[in-house]
Amino acid sequence: MDYIEVNGVKIELDEDGFIVEPDQWSEELVLAFAKTEDVPVVTEEHWKVIHYLRDYFKQFGIAPMIRKLCKDTGLSLKEIYDLFPSGPAKGACKLAGLPKPTGCV
Amino acid sequence: MPVKPPLHIAKEQEVKAAGFKPTPESEVKEKFLAKLDEMRSSMRSLMVMLETCTKCGNCAQQCHSFLGTNDYNNFPAARAELMRRVYKKYFTTSGKLFGRFAGAEDFDDELISKWMTYFYQCNECRRCAQFCPFGIDTAEVTITARHIMSELGIMPKFMAGIAANMEKTGNNMGIPRPATIDCAEFMEDEMREETGLDIKIPVDKPNSDILYIPSSADFFSNIDTMIGAAKMFHVLGVNWTISSKVLEAANFGLLFDFNAMQAQNLRLKEAALEVGASLVVQGECGHGWRAAKMYTEGSNGPVPFKIVHVLEYTAEHLAKLPLSKLPMRVTLHDPCNYARAGDIIEQPRQIIRSCVEEFVEMTPNREENFCCGGGSGILMDEMMEIRMQLGKKKAEQVKALGNLDYFAVPCSICKAQLPHVMKHYGMGSLSMGGVMDLVGKAMVFNKE
Repeated sequence: MDYIEVNGVKIELDEDGFIVEPDQWSEELVLAFAKTEDVPVVTEEHWKVIHYLRDYFKQFGIAPMIRKLCKDTGLSLKEIYDLFPSGPAKGACKLAGLPKPTGCV
Repeated sequence: MPVKPPLHIAKEQEVKAAGFKPTPESEVKEKFLAKLDEMRSSMRSLMVMLETCTKCGNCAQQCHSFLGTNDYNNFPAARAELMRRVYKKYFTTSGKLFGRFAGAEDFDDELISKWMTYFYQCNECRRCAQFCPFGIDTAEVTITARHIMSELGIMPKFMAGIAANMEKTGNNMGIPRPATIDCAEFMEDEMREETGLDIKIPVDKPNSDILYIPSSADFFSNIDTMIGAAKMFHVLGVNWTISSKVLEAANFGLLFDFNAMQAQNLRLKEAALEVGASLVVQGECGHGWRAAKMYTEGSNGPVPFKIVHVLEYTAEHLAKLPLSKLPMRVTLHDPCNYARAGDIIEQPRQIIRSCVEEFVEMTPNREENFCCGGGSGILMDEMMEIRMQLGKKKAEQVKALGNLDYFAVPCSICKAQLPHVMKHYGMGSLSMGGVMDLVGKAMVFNKE
């Protein structure tokens, strides 16, 4: 089983590197994940995307449409990829503690 | 050296969450043989595939999986042998008596690993069947092999996750009804900003004539495909709706378990009855089209409605659509399940020609087209390297065409797979999407 260590606590990850227990998400976890996701510095814009994803998920139980994410955060898709090199469905959702979007994606 | 499947296999709790029952290690062989027996006696098509092959080798050069991976077991006749050999051992007299001299092989500890490895590197594209002198369709063998394993509780984590979503929400992304409504409103806003018109995407509207089942992932990544369809229905002035019960045309059951296919297909029927539709229009989804067109009547019939594909429907109403040709050079990828399993070949061409100035064919095309390499749901991240090998023939086909403005790929699995393939083979800047996307963009509106 894979783990990521945050403040001395081991947090379980699934095979895709996403957290298994949504309650174990924390801002410190984001900083730990950032290193594995090719995000050298977590900026205000990263937090904007992460909090947007978390709020949407809390309300609707699923990740938002990618275009809605862009529109509501004011970021273009290219800017999102610059922030999260593995993309909105992978890197951004992983850092936000959402489950990995699945299906034809 | 033992074969290690190149994908994540669902763990016990994931298998259970998908509605399947794990099989204890000690019972696997017995259950496996019972399932194989059940399939061979109930599926005549499977028997034809298992009994007929002469190993002529014709399929080798026609299979993108073999050509891309160079792995002997991905040569279609060799892949089918993985089932044929155990079938012979346990169900034919020559195999029982003469064993491996008759091409028979015992069930051993490695068999399931081999099956997971190689039946999940077949895209079920059926190109081998197109070129086989006997018409042997390895996809039938692959589909059955995956079904047998799933019934034993052995499946990729990817498939189990989708199956759990289908059970819970009726769609493979797991989108709940409130999110569906939110997404539909967002798309309505987008269309209002663009056209100034109030173009609706009705959700669960009773007394609708048409039930539209959107292409998969239209409510996540492929929104222009949904917008194209909504604009068309608006212009035609028809009474239509989508249903939160079946939000995606995909039916992954066809790709890993027949019972799951039947259950998903039943949702289609129930949704159509619920809204009172006499016509079901399936969105841009290859395998979902095959599952809906070929198996609805057989698995859940009779059904009091007609099922057509959105590209069939659009082609039929093309003359009524106010389209202005976009200045683009465009090619079309024929999804395998349209061209070799679903009779959708000329319709997308007619539509594209009406939407853009220049349409070019890739070679080969139509029913001889190569798969994108993601077919049959091989979209697992952990298989990315193999997926790129499976997409090699497609990349070569596209590269040969020179400059393109748009690559039309009217199937959601292709839409998920091909951006990776194009990037991998140095064509990352090529814009791509569905055929309905073009319809939406080429449509001219007079402000009401």
